[in-house]
Formats: sequence, C-alpha cells, structure tokens
Amino acid sequence: MNDPIKQGLASGWQHLDASTFSTDQQFEADVVIIGTGAGGGMAAEILTQAGLSVLMLEHGALQSSSDFRQQERWAYPHLYQDGAARKTKDQAIAILQGRTVGGSTTVNWTTSIRTPQPTLDYWQSEFGLDFSPAAEPEHHLAPYFAKAAGRLHISEWQVPPNANNEALRRGCQALGWQYTVIERNVHGCANLGYCGMGCPLNAKQSMLVTTIPTALQGGARLISKVSARQLLWQGDQVTGLLAVPVDSAYQPDPRLQINIKAKHYIVAGGAINSPALLLRSEVPNPSGRLGKHTYLHPSVISGALFDEPIQGHMGAPQSIYSDQFVWPTSSEMGFKLEVPPIHPVLMASTLTGMAQFHAEMMRQFNQLQVMIALLRDGFDPQAQGGQVQLDSDGEAVLDYPLTDYLWRGVQKAYLAMAELQFAAGARAVMPVHQDAGLYNSWQQAKTAIADLPLARYRAALASAHVMGGCNMAATADKGVVDSFGRHHQLSNLSVFDGSVLPTSLGANPQLTLYGLIWRNSQALASRLVG
Amino acid sequence: MQRRQFIMLGLAAGATLATGVTLYPLAAADEAERRDAATLVLDAILPALLLGALPTEPQQQQTALLQTRNAALEFLPFLPKRSQAELSQLFLLLSQQLTRLALTGHLIAMGELSISQRLELLESWRTSYLTVLQQAFSGLRALLMGAYYGQPAQWPALNYQALEFRAYE
Repeated sequence: MNDPIKQGLASGWQHLDASTFSTDQQFEADVVIIGTGAGGGMAAEILTQAGLSVLMLEHGALQSSSDFRQQERWAYPHLYQDGAARKTKDQAIAILQGRTVGGSTTVNWTTSIRTPQPTLDYWQSEFGLDFSPAAEPEHHLAPYFAKAAGRLHISEWQVPPNANNEALRRGCQALGWQYTVIERNVHGCANLGYCGMGCPLNAKQSMLVTTIPTALQGGARLISKVSARQLLWQGDQVTGLLAVPVDSAYQPDPRLQINIKAKHYIVAGGAINSPALLLRSEVPNPSGRLGKHTYLHPSVISGALFDEPIQGHMGAPQSIYSDQFVWPTSSEMGFKLEVPPIHPVLMASTLTGMAQFHAEMMRQFNQLQVMIALLRDGFDPQAQGGQVQLDSDGEAVLDYPLTDYLWRGVQKAYLAMAELQFAAGARAVMPVHQDAGLYNSWQQAKTAIADLPLARYRAALASAHVMGGCNMAATADKGVVDSFGRHHQLSNLSVFDGSVLPTSLGANPQLTLYGLIWRNSQALASRLVG
Repeated sequence: MQRRQFIMLGLAAGATLATGVTLYPLAAADEAERRDAATLVLDAILPALLLGALPTEPQQQQTALLQTRNAALEFLPFLPKRSQAELSQLFLLLSQQLTRLALTGHLIAMGELSISQRLELLESWRTSYLTVLQQAFSGLRALLMGAYYGQPAQWPALNYQALEFRAYE
C-alpha cells in the first residue's frame, strides 16, 4: 500500500517532531497556523499557494496510513484528544475530538453536509452575518461549498448502506419520516468501516492526504508534537507565540521553549483548545464572549437488538441521516438522527450496566443496532452551551451545564429512536441510560422512557462536534471575530476553526468549515499578498 | 459486609473527594505507592465488573485480568493531568481506607471481599446520591470496559475480527 506521507517525507518535505528537540528553538514564517484540522489544513494549502511561507503546528503526531492500526486500543490514545476520553468538567458528556496531523478530519466518519439554511438565517438575524447571494460577492458562501466538494471528492454515497444505517432508513420509510443519503468525502473507498481509526487506504479525503501534502509540497513546514501555550501581543498586534514540545503521552513538556514569529497568526486548534489558548494569552475580550457559548450537539444513544446480523463495524459508518426532528415548529430542542460505527471499545465503554448484564449485551454485539440523536444547541435562551475554562495547569476544561430544556429534548429523542428502531424490525430496544432495561415493544418502551430519570450520569451523553467559543459576528460587541474569522481587536490574528460558529449547526460540521475557511483564507491571502 | 457499611465507606470516600480533605497524606504518595494503589483497586474491581464476560478457564481468566489491568494502567498517562490526579486520589483512598478499616476489624480488604460483595460495592457507587461516587463509577467503568474489550483475545466471544493490513506486534 502506498503511503503518500512517507513518500513525501522521503522526497524532502519539511517536517520536525518537536519531541525530539534537545534545545530551545526559534522559527519565523509569514503565517503560522496552530492546528491542522479542517480549518488549519484548508488554510495551509490556500496560503501556501498564494506564495506565503507557512508554518503548521500540531499538538498530535504525524501518523499516516502505514502507521494506522485498525485497533481502537492503538487509535484512541494516538489519534484523539485525551485518548478519546475527553469529557466535560463534570464528566457528564464524553467528547470525541481528533489530535493528530489532519485533526478530526483524520478520524471522522466522512459525513459532509452544507450549513443548513435555517442556521444561516439565524446567524444573519442574531449576529449580522450575511453569507447569502444577496451579500457582496466576497461574502457569499455557497461557491466555496462547491469548491470544497470538488477538492475533496464529496459526493452522495452510491454503495448500499450497511445494516446499521439501513435500519435507520427502513424505520424512516415505515414511519414516513424524512431521510437523506449522506454525501461523503472519499475517493476509492472500499467500504471497510474503520474511518474512526484513520483510513488505511488513504481513501478518506481528510486534510492529512489532501491539503496538507499540497502545502508541504509547496514548501510549507510542519512541526508536530508541539503545544501552543501563549500568544504575546501589544496594542493591536500579536508579536509572538510561545510553544513547548509534548511528551510521549502528548502532555506539554515545559523544559524547552519554542519561539515563533510571524506576520499573521491563525488559531485553528478546535473549539476547546483555541479559546483556551486565547484565554491563556489574555487577549482583549470586550464582548465577554471568548470561551463562552461552546456547543456540542449533545447526543443521546439508543441500542436495539435485531434477529438478523447488523455487524455495525463493517461498511461506511454513516450513510443515512434523518432530519425529521431537527427543526421542530414548537420551542422544543431539535435533533438529528444518525448512527455511529460499532466497534468493541466504543460500544463496551458506552453501553451501561456491568457484569452479567453488560456481558450479555456484548455477546450480542453483531445483532446490536445503535442510533444517536444529536441535539441542536445554541438556538434557544435555555441552550446557550458551555464555557471553556482553564484548570490549574492552564489546560482547557469545558463546563457544560445541562438544562431542563435539554433534558426534555433528551427524552423526546429517546422516544423517537425507540419508535424508529421498532418500526425497523428491532426485537428489543434499550435507551443507553443507567436505569433503562431491554424493552420488547414500542408500547413498553414508551411507558418506561417517560419514567427514566433525566439526570447526568444516568443518561449516557456524547459529542463528536465541538463548536463556538470564539464566535463570529458582524460587530465587536457580539463576537470575538468578524465574518472572515479576523479577530475584532488584534489585526494580525485570525481564528479558523469550529470555534467561530455562533451556534451549533444542526449538521455534521466538516463541510461548513471547509467552505467557510476556504473563503476566509482566500480573503486573508489577498490581504497579505496585496 | 452489610449495606450500611458500604454506605459509610461511600460517605467517607465522597466527603474526601469532594472536599479534598484526606485522612492520609495522599499528595505525598510517590509514584510507586500510587501505582500499587491503582493495581490493588483494579485487581479487586475487575473480576466483579467483568463477571460473565471473563473466560471461564482459570489460567485464561488470570491472563485476561492481568492484561486488562495493565492496559488500563498504560492508558492513564494519556488522560489530562487533572484527571490523573483525581483517579490517583481515588485509588489511594480506596486502597488505604479499606486497609485501615480492616486493621480495626470493621472491614476486610477489598481483595478479600467475595465477588458478589464487590459487585454490591460497585452498585452502591452507581446508585449513590453522592455525585462524586457516581462520577467515579462512570469513569472507572468506561476505562475498564474499554481496556478489556480493546484486547484481540476477547474478540472471538463477540464474533468480531479487526482488519489487518500488516502484522502488529
């Protein structure tokens, strides 16, 4: 199997592993990009192609197809934040977020969805953000979705869905609910099902195998295993960046210092780490919104047992979604219905219970179908998200309060998922909740779910989408950055990642970020190159 | 052991973790003491938590328990430092508290409890009205279930086989 990254490195791409440094280091570039996920990766290609010298920094390691092992015990510690055990402050919500070159795009499930129109409309009315064709041409977002789709081979998945996704479709068909065949960013996908552990075939068109190689080929430099600690600033200018290497467990190691100077600084470390860097740097924050309004699409889970094999570890992890409940007409919290891939560690740690009960559920692993409902936070006064704070080590911790409004959404989502699973032919359904059991009929489930206590640690909650904390807004009183990701107070600082989103999306975020950051990078390149 | 005693143990553990006030100088424990405490607690919890999942053949069972405990210990350094400190405190507290009480004759050490008593202990954390014990249960459960089912030796029982593009290890 070809590994384009190893081949590129052999041909002279400039990559340094900061954990091998033995003395303090200094670097200079036109632009330094902190983070190499959807935002940082996209920016690196466009700015390099504009003729700028680009330096990419990544906290994780440079791992590529020949390093990837299709084993969760390897993938989670080496490719995910906190070994895939990142949690909110009270540990009520588990957060899956990538930490490797390519960021979450290296480990995501490839679902590519444009920003929903109701979300764009809300941003326009609440934050003065106009991305529509009616706006100035350079503001218009849709052309960049088309460009990103072309660049990353995004198209509707033509292969029949795996049984896990097929159950979602069958349930929707039986109930007359809306569903959509998912568009995926893949090229030459063999329908294996290991997207979450890094694609072994380089079929997933992540930043790792698309924009980052182009940038490196064009002369950009990459430093991996480096943690950005503090931006230095004076007046309206960032004057430098202090960073340190990380150790073998990716913990910052302050014994060495790495000093970086650039004309422009791009923060793209994701919606938990980017606000934390800006908080550590004590940058101006007149809106008071820095680190606040962090959204998660908090997700609840429902398991179902089928007589026929589901084998949810095989095949494209996500190929069908349902938006039946995502934009309710009432004031209830909307949710999107999807399915996750089903691998042993992810399932065993998510399923509730222990001992005999848990063991019995695991023995039926291949009969297990799993649904997730992603709650759309950020659109209601009672769903204003969480707040990124710093712990005593200066590390990010996300405090995410769980409101009654959210719990009502959780209960509605449990009901919808159980109804759908029975409609799809499940013989038993079990909401993933400490107090739930296996229910044998929709009627039984309906009654039992109504009585489930709605409380943290009882309901299993997870998130794979972190958004907000440096929100964009047309004016400085309502946001941290403007509609092009430029910091409202520091003129040579941009934020190019999911933290700029003013609400959650009601859709998986990667395509929104590809389009938005392509647009923003192009505007920045014009400004810097002149 | 009576349920009342579990509750008392729960209260002591909860109060300690919630207030940071400890009966023992936990902060002073060195790395070896921390690892010993973690080993002791994990060795006590795992046979109960994994009851019904573990291989029945004694030698295979011992190997599975050992591999799970080691996998969990090897994973800990990847957690944020603050989570490592919290877990470390929990392990020290559980190990020392039980040993000390055992010396007074009120309680026996965790490892000497029967499997059903250990399950009852875990269950008392799961259903505790103390947030900190529910948190501890939830965190440990996820960590240990992941450590067990991450091992290829446990996959045949699930009829799961991972793809292999190259020989590992």
